[in-house]
Amino acid sequence: MWVMPVTTNAQHDVPALLAPWLAQHPGVTVRVTVLDWESGWNKITAAAASRRGPDLLELGTTWMPAIAAMGGLEKLSAAQLAEVGNGAPYYPELWKTTQVFGQPGVYGLPWYADVRAAFYRTDVFRQAGVDPKQAFADWDSFHAALKKINGTTVAGKRIAALAYAGKNDWNVVHNLAPWIWNAGGDVLTADAKHSALSSPQALRAIDFYSSLAVEGLVPSNALEKDSDILEGAWVGGDYGVIFSGPWLMRRIFESPAGSVVRANFDVAPYPAGPHGHATFFGGSNLAIFKGSRHKAEAWDLVKYLGGKAPQVQLALVSSMMPARIDAANDPAWTSRHPVYAKLTAIAADGRAYPPIPAWGPLESVYTKHLGQLAELSSGIADKYSLPAVKALIADTVVEADKVLEEAN
Amino acid sequence: MSSLGVTVSTASGERTRRRRRFDAFPYLLLAPAALMMVIVNLVPIVQGFRMSMLKLNQYTLSQFMDAPYVGLRNYRGVLFDANNPVHSGMLGALRNTALYSLLVTVCAVAIGLGVALLLNRDFPGKALARTLLMLPWVVPTYVVGTLWGFMWQRDEGIVNHVLVDVLHLMDHKPFWLIGSNTFFAIVIPTVWRAWPVLMLIFLAALQAVPEELYEAARLDGANAWQRFVNITLPALKPVIVIQVMFQIIDNVYSYNIVAMMFGKGAGYPGEWGDLLMPLLTRQSFSYWRFGEGAAVSFVMMAVMLAFVAVWMKTFRRSMTDEA
Repeated sequence: MWVMPVTTNAQHDVPALLAPWLAQHPGVTVRVTVLDWESGWNKITAAAASRRGPDLLELGTTWMPAIAAMGGLEKLSAAQLAEVGNGAPYYPELWKTTQVFGQPGVYGLPWYADVRAAFYRTDVFRQAGVDPKQAFADWDSFHAALKKINGTTVAGKRIAALAYAGKNDWNVVHNLAPWIWNAGGDVLTADAKHSALSSPQALRAIDFYSSLAVEGLVPSNALEKDSDILEGAWVGGDYGVIFSGPWLMRRIFESPAGSVVRANFDVAPYPAGPHGHATFFGGSNLAIFKGSRHKAEAWDLVKYLGGKAPQVQLALVSSMMPARIDAANDPAWTSRHPVYAKLTAIAADGRAYPPIPAWGPLESVYTKHLGQLAELSSGIADKYSLPAVKALIADTVVEADKVLEEAN
Repeated sequence: MSSLGVTVSTASGERTRRRRRFDAFPYLLLAPAALMMVIVNLVPIVQGFRMSMLKLNQYTLSQFMDAPYVGLRNYRGVLFDANNPVHSGMLGALRNTALYSLLVTVCAVAIGLGVALLLNRDFPGKALARTLLMLPWVVPTYVVGTLWGFMWQRDEGIVNHVLVDVLHLMDHKPFWLIGSNTFFAIVIPTVWRAWPVLMLIFLAALQAVPEELYEAARLDGANAWQRFVNITLPALKPVIVIQVMFQIIDNVYSYNIVAMMFGKGAGYPGEWGDLLMPLLTRQSFSYWRFGEGAAVSFVMMAVMLAFVAVWMKTFRRSMTDEA
């Protein structure tokens, strides 16, 4: 079984997760191999191409359609689907990621979820006299709140309003997508054949998002950092707001007991744009490898890990959200900290990318070009303007459509 | 006549015997190495060349070498099609790679040679100094990229702290990882890592220069500069010529420092930070255009082979020390 480092010690935690199942299957041995996110993709595609690999594997939600389209994954049968309620226990947006856009068939089960939300400092908002509920109500109120909290001094430390990463980061697209969706735009056209980034709605979102840096509400030095550094800096008390996922909770709890942030934080949904307040929904799925020689056992294990109790157990050791609705509402998860219940509520507005096989190349194109917004908005050469953004997006769309052309 | 006939016959017989005396033993000794060279070099090169003529992408990857044959289409696409995703940004990366290779090579060779000259004399702690100076070179390139990525940070990085807060050389802290300064952000760490090994090589070469030459020059009244130009440089020329060639090859194929400094492989370092290898990796592997990636690799290999051939021809006499 191949997994990603879902916990800080996956080599220990995943076998522990399997222990009850193994006790019921004394004749089965499961060898767990922990890949890493950087090299995992190459290893999995090589396995899919050669048909030599594990019996079952974890796949990022955006990876699954590509590997399925390569013929690397076993399609679930109608009987197997019936055993898991035809996906009804899972978040529908995540269930969508177990399929290939426009094609029949399901290739696995959602295992855990990555849901994004605004993590904010309650003490900073209080000091600036900003009501968080009002602040995250819509884009205008969010903008006004950021202006108000920017530069607030708490315990002698000057706080910058918002942090997001610029070009040197893997999360460029995930960070921007909810703003585009909430403006009524999308990352792809409805038929998933073309990029939709040049739509007026998407451009409006990109302009709004980038303008936060141009106005200095996102300090320009944040734009040269990656998400990991910024999350550490937020936990260290440098910023008022950061958009992040449930893994940040682990980082907060690992900070010193007397930490100001640990005692003064909360989460909120994305501020509503003209078309709602969707958030990015990702995570990982479990699938059976096409070349597996133990498909029955592999399915039994996938089904077990897709069940409520193992999902709750994984969520507790990993801080990633369960992919099952009942598990995400289980008191063991929601009562752990008030924030977990809020994340579950926010997940109701979770939205995943269309599960197209070409998502990987497309995301690389988007990451390359959208990361350049940081060059425009950093203020180095006073280059930021809407026409400059439009030109950048026009280049993005040309390259994205060329990549998508292969798939059509 | 008969004598001549005997002589001819004898000479022919000797040639035959010489042929028969062919000694296979050296070839047997070389065979394992030659076989390994074929396995690890020739086979992948031939396979790569075949790949460069296939439509090998995510939809045909499972067919691998049986993917559709497209002849030279991949080459045309990556070299001349402005809309080809692998071609996108290639001219900028080519410009950066040429400038980067030139600048890094010149700086690394100059610093390496300068420090070697300084170390080529006796002073207390010489061995320790030489060892310490080697430290940058023993740091792996991906660590160099990561470390300098932190050091270049505008507000928290040590570079701006030293330049602005300590030395007061600038009145504001510039960005190094955004904008045109990205070029210097990749050049400086590469030079920092490259010069120590050059220093060591030049130092070894300097120690082989006969001291008598310097003594004779001193007696003739030559000053330090004249001794350097007329004795040291000619003596080191074969080493310098070879090392410059190696440096240029290394720098054209540079990848780790750029990839690690700018998001550990994510995205794009920007107009002034992109080099050919990061571009190739990003826009062939991340875009799943393996056939076109193989085509670019072959173009690069051909260009570098041509460069090596021209270099070797130009400096052959210098390299063999016949000058």
